[in-house]
Amino acid sequence: MNSWIDHLIVVPIALPMVVGGLMLLLGDRRRTLKVSLNILSTLCLLGVAIAILLMVDAGDSGGPWPGSLAVYLVSNWSAPYGISLVADRLTALMLVLASLLGLCSLIYATARWDKAGVHFHPLFQFLLMGVNGAFLTGDVFNLFVFFEILLAASYGLVMHGSGWPRVKAGMHYIVINLLASSMFLIGVALIYGVTGTLNMADLARKVPLVAGEDRALLEAGAAILAVAFLAKSAMWPLNFWLPPAYSSASPPVAAIFAILSKVGVYAVLRIWLLLFGEAAASSAGFGSQWLLYGGLITLGIGSVGLLASQELPRLASFSLIVSSGTLLAAISFGQPSVTSGALLYMVSSTLAVGAFFLLAELIDRTQVFGANVLALTMEAFQAEGAIEDTESDEVGVIIPMAMAFLGLAFITCALVIAGLPPLSGFFGKFALLSAAINPEGTPGGEPPGPHVWALVTLVILSGLAALIALSRVGIRVFWAPAERAAPRLRLIEVGPIAVMLGVCVLLAIGMGPAMQYLDKTAAALHAPQGYSHGVLTQPRVPSPTAGEQ
Amino acid sequence: MELILALGIGALTSCGVWLLLRPRTYQVVLGLSILSYGVNLFIFAMGRISIDQAPIKEAGRFASLLQYDDPLPQALVLTAIVISFAMTALFLVVLLASRGLSGTDHVDGKEPDA
Amino acid sequence: MTLIFIVLLPFIGSLVAGLFPAKAQNRAAGFAGLVALVGFALVVSCYPTISTGSVIGFELPWAPRLGLNFSLRMDGFAWLFAMLVLGVGLMVVLYARYYMSPDDPVPRFFSFFLAFMGAMLGLVLSGNLIQMVLFWEMTSLVSFMLIGYWHHNAEARRGARMALIVTGSGGLALLAGMLLLGHMAGSYELEIVLESGNQIRAHPWYVPTLILILLGAFTKSAQFPFHFWLPRAMAAPTPVSAYLHSATMVKAGVFLLTRFWPVLSGTDEWFWIVGTAGLVTLLLGAYTAIFQQDLKGLLAYSTISHLGLITLLLGMNTPLAAGAAIFHIMNHAIFKASLFMAAGVIDHETGTRDIRKLSGLYRAMPHTARLAMVASAAMAGVPLLNGFLSKEMFFAETVLVSGNALVRIGLPLAATVASMFAVAYSLRFIFDVFFGPRATDLPHEPHEPPRWMRVPIEMLVLICLIVGVVPGLTVEHFLEVATRSVVGAHMPAYNLAVWHGFNLPLLMSFLAMAGGILLYFALHRYLRLGTLDKVPLISRWDGRSTFEAMLNGLGALADRVERLVTTRRLQPQLFLMVALTVIVGFAPFYGSPIEWGFKPLTPVDPAFAVLWAVGVACAIGAAWQAKYHRLAALMLMGGSGFVACITFVWFSAPDLALTQLMVEVVTMVLILLGLRWLPALRRDSEIGPGMVRRTSRRLRDLLLAILAGGGMATITYAMLTRDFPQSISPYFLERAQPEGGGTNVVNVILVDFRGFDTMGELTVLGIVALTVYALLRRFRPAPESLQVPNQQRDAVGGEPIVHSAADAASRGYLRVPGVLVRILLPILGMVSIYLLLRGHNLPGGGFVAGLITAVAIILQYMVGGTLWVEKNIRMRPQKWMGVGLLLAVGTGLGAWVFGYPFLTSHTAHPVLPWLGEIPLASALFFDLGVFALVVGSTVLILTALAHQSVRSHRAAAAPSDSGVA
Repeated sequence: MNSWIDHLIVVPIALPMVVGGLMLLLGDRRRTLKVSLNILSTLCLLGVAIAILLMVDAGDSGGPWPGSLAVYLVSNWSAPYGISLVADRLTALMLVLASLLGLCSLIYATARWDKAGVHFHPLFQFLLMGVNGAFLTGDVFNLFVFFEILLAASYGLVMHGSGWPRVKAGMHYIVINLLASSMFLIGVALIYGVTGTLNMADLARKVPLVAGEDRALLEAGAAILAVAFLAKSAMWPLNFWLPPAYSSASPPVAAIFAILSKVGVYAVLRIWLLLFGEAAASSAGFGSQWLLYGGLITLGIGSVGLLASQELPRLASFSLIVSSGTLLAAISFGQPSVTSGALLYMVSSTLAVGAFFLLAELIDRTQVFGANVLALTMEAFQAEGAIEDTESDEVGVIIPMAMAFLGLAFITCALVIAGLPPLSGFFGKFALLSAAINPEGTPGGEPPGPHVWALVTLVILSGLAALIALSRVGIRVFWAPAERAAPRLRLIEVGPIAVMLGVCVLLAIGMGPAMQYLDKTAAALHAPQGYSHGVLTQPRVPSPTAGEQ
Repeated sequence: MELILALGIGALTSCGVWLLLRPRTYQVVLGLSILSYGVNLFIFAMGRISIDQAPIKEAGRFASLLQYDDPLPQALVLTAIVISFAMTALFLVVLLASRGLSGTDHVDGKEPDA
Repeated sequence: MTLIFIVLLPFIGSLVAGLFPAKAQNRAAGFAGLVALVGFALVVSCYPTISTGSVIGFELPWAPRLGLNFSLRMDGFAWLFAMLVLGVGLMVVLYARYYMSPDDPVPRFFSFFLAFMGAMLGLVLSGNLIQMVLFWEMTSLVSFMLIGYWHHNAEARRGARMALIVTGSGGLALLAGMLLLGHMAGSYELEIVLESGNQIRAHPWYVPTLILILLGAFTKSAQFPFHFWLPRAMAAPTPVSAYLHSATMVKAGVFLLTRFWPVLSGTDEWFWIVGTAGLVTLLLGAYTAIFQQDLKGLLAYSTISHLGLITLLLGMNTPLAAGAAIFHIMNHAIFKASLFMAAGVIDHETGTRDIRKLSGLYRAMPHTARLAMVASAAMAGVPLLNGFLSKEMFFAETVLVSGNALVRIGLPLAATVASMFAVAYSLRFIFDVFFGPRATDLPHEPHEPPRWMRVPIEMLVLICLIVGVVPGLTVEHFLEVATRSVVGAHMPAYNLAVWHGFNLPLLMSFLAMAGGILLYFALHRYLRLGTLDKVPLISRWDGRSTFEAMLNGLGALADRVERLVTTRRLQPQLFLMVALTVIVGFAPFYGSPIEWGFKPLTPVDPAFAVLWAVGVACAIGAAWQAKYHRLAALMLMGGSGFVACITFVWFSAPDLALTQLMVEVVTMVLILLGLRWLPALRRDSEIGPGMVRRTSRRLRDLLLAILAGGGMATITYAMLTRDFPQSISPYFLERAQPEGGGTNVVNVILVDFRGFDTMGELTVLGIVALTVYALLRRFRPAPESLQVPNQQRDAVGGEPIVHSAADAASRGYLRVPGVLVRILLPILGMVSIYLLLRGHNLPGGGFVAGLITAVAIILQYMVGGTLWVEKNIRMRPQKWMGVGLLLAVGTGLGAWVFGYPFLTSHTAHPVLPWLGEIPLASALFFDLGVFALVVGSTVLILTALAHQSVRSHRAAAAPSDSGVA
């Protein structure tokens, strides 16, 4: 616990907090400084996340953390008494995903959106802090705290730039999440009341020992907790807030929000598998039915929403819902192979949707009408003096083939989202489905049940729906002979999109190693004993005050 | 005592939920705070209840839950109180902003058609 | 190793071609041609190996765990197809060079073209099912780009989209089919799948799998009822049609059928489904083709019918038929490509493709005419041409087919009729266009195309001839290798000869010829009238319009469903959420009713009962009054909050009580400040149209609320009556003093054991303050709430007594309390510092201290007035917050210096004068951070809100002011 490497685990939380604090000291002005601080810190976060991922993956083979499980006892109290941060493969993956998405949307935002209101930069850092914390923490109540951090920041960001649609959507978003937070508290408290502990690893160990007459109470607590998570991860019927909120939020904000729903999914995946895995005696697999059918319905209705929506941001929002539905349904199978497929799908769909939100704005800018709207909003900001120090970076260099780039990027997004070949979206779905049909991977296992067929059918139909909806929009915006404003794209707007989509392409090419990693991840998730043992046996550094007694 | 507290928490929750489901933003904000009272008490109650056993260490009291009230839920409640306070403040301002922009205090920003 | 080059080359080429400048027509074309040529050469070079019947394989591990490897596999059949793809491709490139107009950005065209070629090669050479699907969908996608190449005209857009959706969804079905197939065979490797035919045909999933795969094949190969997209795709540039609809795209479907023939065929399902689809398509296509007015339309439908013929052959379940199918795939590719090119030439030179306009072109372009005639003769199946041979084989098969009488009689009959139609439309293609009176009203004056534009047609027609005359010397061997690789060793002998002696097939051919000629002349006048605009008899069921209707209907339906199952109103969302929670909360108790525990109850104290009676009354009152008496409701809410406070005291939680109390105060102040901006109360009439609905909704909500509350109460009671679990709390009680350095366990938990939570909670507070500030900068008070509130108006004239808080002080408005409050400030300051310091051992701590200070400051605002305070007290809340955060996190990071984890606390016990011993734990600095941040953010929120009044007065005074704080 002494080596500096271990401290790396707390950096994804501490760094953004420090930077955020510094930005507060800087006050309202000094935009350039804040921008550079923000980008710098996010870059570091990405670096740290990748480092953690590599070291965790190294595991026993020379890595600093044997068992691919890094445990950090905050304020040096051993689990389950203190709060412990835990980084396993899943956490590391999520950290990388979050900071990558964050970096891209941040760079995009610096093109113009960060000037649309005050305090974009500190809020952004705090959002990252909350997200990273939620992925890292190994304590249920601490998870609540980090949820609140990321939510509070997201409240600020969703209304960034103000304006009626944002405030309205923001208000609904806030009320619903406040209610969800109360449920989170109720659930956690109930679980504590029954088990007497808050540490996830400890819970995993205590759930099987819960007495029969208390079990129902525990399950009720877990169920209420689940409602909070599922509302975050946009499961029907708790997801009506998402399309308005995300499609009215400013594009870079919407892009980073693509990770928020995944936080909910992560929480479900982590806690559900810890508490109600095979080990959980009579409660094993509790709620899997809810998860399955909820996921399937979400998937179906998301596809319907895709077909029904015309504007790009709404399309993006619904593809987010579709991916959530797919993930929840897949998780409910409780099969390692399915889970790993789902994870691959999650990574690519998250990145693609994030890129899609950004792309949507650029495309709208090429549409004469859309361009006007944007111009108007920008003027509005001017009028309200929201742009503090007006630098001369409003002149965009017209990249040649700008239109071609947009088209290409759009097709790439569409392919990944619809899960069509040859990009990672397809392989994610393929891995998921082939595993669902045949979990053990052995030829001629027992014939799959109806829920498998339902999943296969729905996933494929959702792909079809996406194909129809996206081709309709794509033809309208790119091919319909309307006079288009020559798109004025800037590298810092195009670059992030290219990066995110590039990662999707890389995932498709380097699928072998990716799947190896994800398989190990899923295997660990489905064998939580290793997790709890690792966390609970983590020794504390000999206490500094111990000597004085 | 237990029963009274339980009923009290139930009543607070009911009022909170009822107000939450009302159409006016002001009702919603009150609802949220009342609900948070209920929830905070609930968390507190999860540590069971005891009288004159404040978890402040004194000589000669054996460090167990029979001698002291469970401190952990209290700590949790403190955190929860702060957060719910912050959220109430935030929502209040959002409510004002929305009212300012839409000219109405209906949660959907427009008076119901009926 | 060559295989990987064959597949990759076109893709690389496509990337390169895309980089050429828009006008580089020759270079792009030349480059594309070169790529095709090299590929062709590579494929040829494989023949020696292939001809021995052996298989060339290439495999790269990709995702082994998923059974997905990048594996290529070339057997005779794949080889033949690759030859077609590249050979015809080469011709088309040459042709396109002259067809495309110089203004077209051809590099893009050739880039797509090469990409398509690559996808096609990848498909035919795939050695893995999933990889096959991958390339399959790629062909759909690229063909979409190619068909929509001229996307400025609506036809192209619609055609492209239709092709994409039909073939794309077919591809999705295919994916499902392949998943099942792979599962049945236990591997996605084609090699293995091809060997496990019996086991697959016996498998219970055989039929669903078959149907899914056929969906893929039929959509691609435009089999009935999915044929409608192909004619629409004719909006593409002719070279594209010549390529996609002769040798490649549409052939992918029949390729798939042939590829899996050894695995899936041989069953009745196969015979009936594939055979029927083929037969119907054959007849329908041929019949429809006769009545087309558009040259390309005619060719399109003839393509459909020929594809039907191939499908039918494959459906017949006999090796010979399969062989014939392969042979016809080849022949059709060749003559149809040349015909499309010829049609393109005519279009290019005359400016129209309308058969009614065209006439007597022979004199204008004799050479093209001759080529076209030979090609269409091949299409009609005239002897000495390749089309004849495969058609003969087809007839022979229809005669030999086994089955009930219907099949035995019907099939040959249908075949004859179909080829009669074929003769008829071929004649139409020739006579109507090239003979008859010379057309006068053509857009351009017709003349021969440039030399090199004819070359590809000549080559292809030449092949038709050679193959047709001396099949034995030319194609027989290739064909045999290809067929053997499909149907396996047990391939009955057959000889490709022009002359088989007088037999039934020959007779059928003659019948078809004669009948076709008769039919043509019978219809000739009628067709020539030009009044005909739709196909007689079958025009009613037209797949295209059905498809469009379906698509639009789908959109509309989705729209309705979406409105039905989702809402944008807040209340239903909240209701659903609470309801769901109640349901899932109660669900676990279903079957196992809840039991109370046995923990001894604490004796009831009537005072407590009374207290809670009041508390509940307050809460209910607040709920009751919230709509019409906001202030009253607020006070009542405060009441119930206060009851909660006392409860905390009662049950030995002094810290909570203290905090709750302060929070109460601040919240009250906040809401009071906010009340001013809410709209005037408007009593909407309780009675009225909506009354019933409103009341029922209220009842529903009430029920839910009661359920939720009841649930909470039950659970709470159930928990309160239970004994302690194996809790982690005793640990805190033990360690608090020795190791945490404080007797107030709760506080120690907050700043030490779970200091991390506190840090997070601080951040939340800070974030919220920032958000509030950001929001209020843009705050636009509603106009009617801008005037000075009534309370500050003169009772008589309604004139504002106080124009701004500025002169409040001078005018003696609330002067006395003002002075008192100013004295209060330092006192409260002392109190908070005291609480801050003792917090570690007795109730108190940074948070409460911070709140008290904040209250002290806000009191100044309330009484002194905003302006006065802003003049006299320079607060920089944001700085406070920043410092607070950094102090907290800094304390945490400080631990690193000592080599301890984040937030580890250190304690020292220095003795200060007057104050006595101070437990100077690092926790204290942490607590200071808390204090600073709480003061900062609370003040920021309150002042930002209070400041609005000043702004709004200003705004009211000078509306021009934008009103940014």
